[in-house]
Amino acid sequence: MAGHSAEMHKYSGWGGGVSPLGASYGKVFMWFFLISDALTFSGFLCAYGFMRHKFAGEWPDPAAVFHHFPFLHGKHLPLLYVGFMTFILIMSSVTMVLAVEAGHRMKKQAVLFWLGLTIIGGFGFVGSQAWEWYNFISGNEQGAVRAMHHGDVKTFQFYSDHKTHVIDTTRLVPPGGHEALSVEESGKLKASGKRVYGASLRQNEYGHTLFGDFFFFITGFHGFHVFSGVMINLVIFIMVARGMMQRRGHYEMVEKVGLYWHFVDLVWVFVFTFFYLL
Amino acid sequence: MSEFHDDYPSYETMANHDEASGKKTRKKIWLVFTLLLVVTIVEIFVGMMAADWGASKLFLKVFFISFTILKAYYIIYSFMHLGDEVKWLKWVIIAPYSGFILYLIFMMTIGEGNFSKEARHDLPPATEQHKGGGGEHH
Repeated sequence: MAGHSAEMHKYSGWGGGVSPLGASYGKVFMWFFLISDALTFSGFLCAYGFMRHKFAGEWPDPAAVFHHFPFLHGKHLPLLYVGFMTFILIMSSVTMVLAVEAGHRMKKQAVLFWLGLTIIGGFGFVGSQAWEWYNFISGNEQGAVRAMHHGDVKTFQFYSDHKTHVIDTTRLVPPGGHEALSVEESGKLKASGKRVYGASLRQNEYGHTLFGDFFFFITGFHGFHVFSGVMINLVIFIMVARGMMQRRGHYEMVEKVGLYWHFVDLVWVFVFTFFYLL
Repeated sequence: MSEFHDDYPSYETMANHDEASGKKTRKKIWLVFTLLLVVTIVEIFVGMMAADWGASKLFLKVFFISFTILKAYYIIYSFMHLGDEVKWLKWVIIAPYSGFILYLIFMMTIGEGNFSKEARHDLPPATEQHKGGGGEHH
């Protein structure tokens, strides 16, 4: 093309003096990094979905696994604790977006305030996850029995009356089915099966081994992202406090770490659905 | 240094805004937060009640996954400001990702996952006997 019209010049690329993506180099590449990270997490979740479909008969019902709440020992409260963790993360996402907004107005003190709250929220989430892992790994005192039942290796937890905390060890229920078996059948399964306590990478008392492996791997990888996010936020917090952004005339650095932080929240939305709700 | 443009626009400072539009932005942020919170509370409530109601697995899947996508949309478009970016940046981010992931979901999770479940049950029962690891106690 010989003639350069004004329209062509406008869209002729970085060499033409404008970015066709209408954003700074740093922001565009933060987005590209997030896409690659999103593909990684999606790959993990798809692998999880594959195994979950494959071992559908042995996969535990999350409501039977995650039902602890701090200071309410022995109560059956499915999803409440993880709901609390989700609330912390959404809240810290909001404080982050408010920090970005304060940055757009060049208000240093407001940025520090909201970014500080985001960091506290991040530590809160990582701490909650540690407690969640502790419960998952230690399991309940009775453990569970793994035995062949109608063609699948099923995991049976001991039936407990959640109102009075009385545990009847003669009756067993598979997690998810909540089908109480007869005393004779329970006895047979206890004799032929294998007793499993808590959770490790080799086995767990909730169901198929891969359920525990995926739990450790995916929530661990996400937790590591949250931890790195908190550390990066901390670095930016110090940079803001030292007035670096004020001197630059913009707070885009806060916006870029904000993108990463929201991404961590976004991943949790999916982990929450596929691990805890479904 | 011929490629270097002195008049290259400073995209970093373009996002800066005044008090008035800041107020509007904050209002939108809290609105999106309320929406995310309400959706999460509804999800947890349905999740807790699903067993008592005897809700079907298909209903739960459709229900939870639609709400998840709704939440993801609001996080990406509002909190991550993708809605405010130019059309090209939106497409460069959304299109390649969606292409890969839709393919992966349909081929791997739904197609292959169900197939291997069927294939596994075609095996003789003897191969199923020694699963579940060793009987390690603590």
